[in-house]
Amino acid sequence: MAKPAVLAGLVVIIALLPVLVSSHYIWHILILTFIYIIAAVSLRTITISGQFPLAHAAFMGIGAYLAGMASKWLGWSPWLTIPSAALVTMGIGMLIGYPFARLRALYYAMGSLFFGIGVIYMVYAGGTWTGGYAGLVGIGPMLGGSKIAHYYFFLGLALLSTLALYRFEFSRIGTTLKAIAQSHLVASSVGINEGWYRVLAVGMGCFFAGLAGAGYAHYNTVLSPASFNFMATLWLVMYVLIGGIESFAGPIIGTAILVLLPEFARDLKEYSPYISAGILLIVVYLMPRGLVSLPKLVMLWYSERKKGKKIAHVSGN
Amino acid sequence: MELAVATVTNLLILSSMYILVALGFAFLFNMLGILNFAHGVIYMLGGYIGLALISALGINQWAALIISALVIGAFGVFLEKFCFRPFVGDFNRIVMICVAIIVILQTSVNIIVGTQITSLPPFAEGVFKVGLASISYERIVTFAIGAVLLGAIIWFVNRTKWGQQMQAISQDMQGAFLQGINVHRISALASFIGCALAAIAGCLIGAYLSLGPFMGDFMLVKVLILAILSGAGSISGIFFAGLILGALDSVLPLFTSGAASDAIAVGIVVVVLLIRPQGFFGHEVEM
Repeated sequence: MAKPAVLAGLVVIIALLPVLVSSHYIWHILILTFIYIIAAVSLRTITISGQFPLAHAAFMGIGAYLAGMASKWLGWSPWLTIPSAALVTMGIGMLIGYPFARLRALYYAMGSLFFGIGVIYMVYAGGTWTGGYAGLVGIGPMLGGSKIAHYYFFLGLALLSTLALYRFEFSRIGTTLKAIAQSHLVASSVGINEGWYRVLAVGMGCFFAGLAGAGYAHYNTVLSPASFNFMATLWLVMYVLIGGIESFAGPIIGTAILVLLPEFARDLKEYSPYISAGILLIVVYLMPRGLVSLPKLVMLWYSERKKGKKIAHVSGN
Repeated sequence: MELAVATVTNLLILSSMYILVALGFAFLFNMLGILNFAHGVIYMLGGYIGLALISALGINQWAALIISALVIGAFGVFLEKFCFRPFVGDFNRIVMICVAIIVILQTSVNIIVGTQITSLPPFAEGVFKVGLASISYERIVTFAIGAVLLGAIIWFVNRTKWGQQMQAISQDMQGAFLQGINVHRISALASFIGCALAAIAGCLIGAYLSLGPFMGDFMLVKVLILAILSGAGSISGIFFAGLILGALDSVLPLFTSGAASDAIAVGIVVVVLLIRPQGFFGHEVEM
């Protein structure tokens, strides 16, 4: 997938988009896409260590609520709240990840799922501090509330985050994580501290989830617990799985398609969720490796067809 | 006295409903190792089919209860055959299928019925008085149906051939296969029973409390808690876990706010999971 020219061209097009299309609504959708790309790519970083957490939206929520509460009750500036919320989320993720590292596979998924549900209940129970059921309002805006400044800020943030996570995945640590995912017993036998590396992967993923959440809090200035609940986590998982969990580009493509397509099909009104469901079913039944494998599948189908024609031709004579 | 009676009846009703829904989830979890996240929506759909039969077609509500159970049971067989069976052991694709089912069913209900909260007509009216306490017949009927069904399930799982085959598959699927048990047929049967029970619970809760398109999300959390507390491979564990959860849900709100009591219940589950991943009564599932 190393096509730097194509990638650079794509980034330039996305960066020039606000000049070409001056619709606040489209900018808004693209900003959300950038935020969810950060979250989805960071979720995939945790999964390369062989653990499948179902609490990522909750970690986003932790970051968002920490930033929002620091901004609202302490009056901190966004430039202080966003990095500190991300760091605290990372710390919480590592603290939680440590006891959870003894769980495996299905049980890890279930444990993290309950942690995520518990976080949302704690937000509900937080009363005036977290806004409870009504949601947290009155978070300080950033960048003077200008849409276009937000667009470039989140575009830059998404680029930096994906670059950092890309470097992380293909560093020595990332390779070690993949080794653990393949066989934790073999990995431990060659002297890899399995628990520590798994906690490290969770910490890395949670840092960027917190970052995305904190950015979202200051962009939206209103937080509702429902945006970080169990279904939100499942949607993040869908973004990763649709694109293809095995490749780095997977979550980016998956997020772009699942966030943008239903928005462009807004004319269908209440029928638009069917589009997401349809994409999910197509991927499940036809593309087990996700949308990333689509070019390969098409090529395979084409070559098979050619071969089939040739055989038919030969046998026909 | 009034409060105590209300709490105890609430405990029993909530427990029996949680267990009814959780059984279907646990059957598939035990036998095929599948986390059926769509089970909450199936429960919701059961209630809505009951509502459609009663209000649109004017069918007697008891008949509607049974027809809804049969329809949803057939839907369960369909799900097991086309959505779960091809992907057994593939966690990612099962989750994707479940999310697709959740989205399709919730959107359909939203379009056809609307997002407003409705309810089914009550199955029984009037109040039963004993001394100072009074219990509505609706509560008694709900609990009685739940209790009878749960008793029938215990009998079915432990005493009949099919039930014992289900237990054999939960213990060791390949072993059961080698013994000549038709694994596919038995898992389809388990899916039928599980979904039918969820539909009955949906109708009963729809009459006892209310009916909404998102009631399944709430129930799904309870079902997951039950499945984890009891552990894989244990049907009797579900009953104990259901009683524990029902007790937590009906007693804790007396002392704290609703959300705080939910948070405590979830916290207990996380601690149990960390100490005993296999639950109170079960064994670990390898995936």
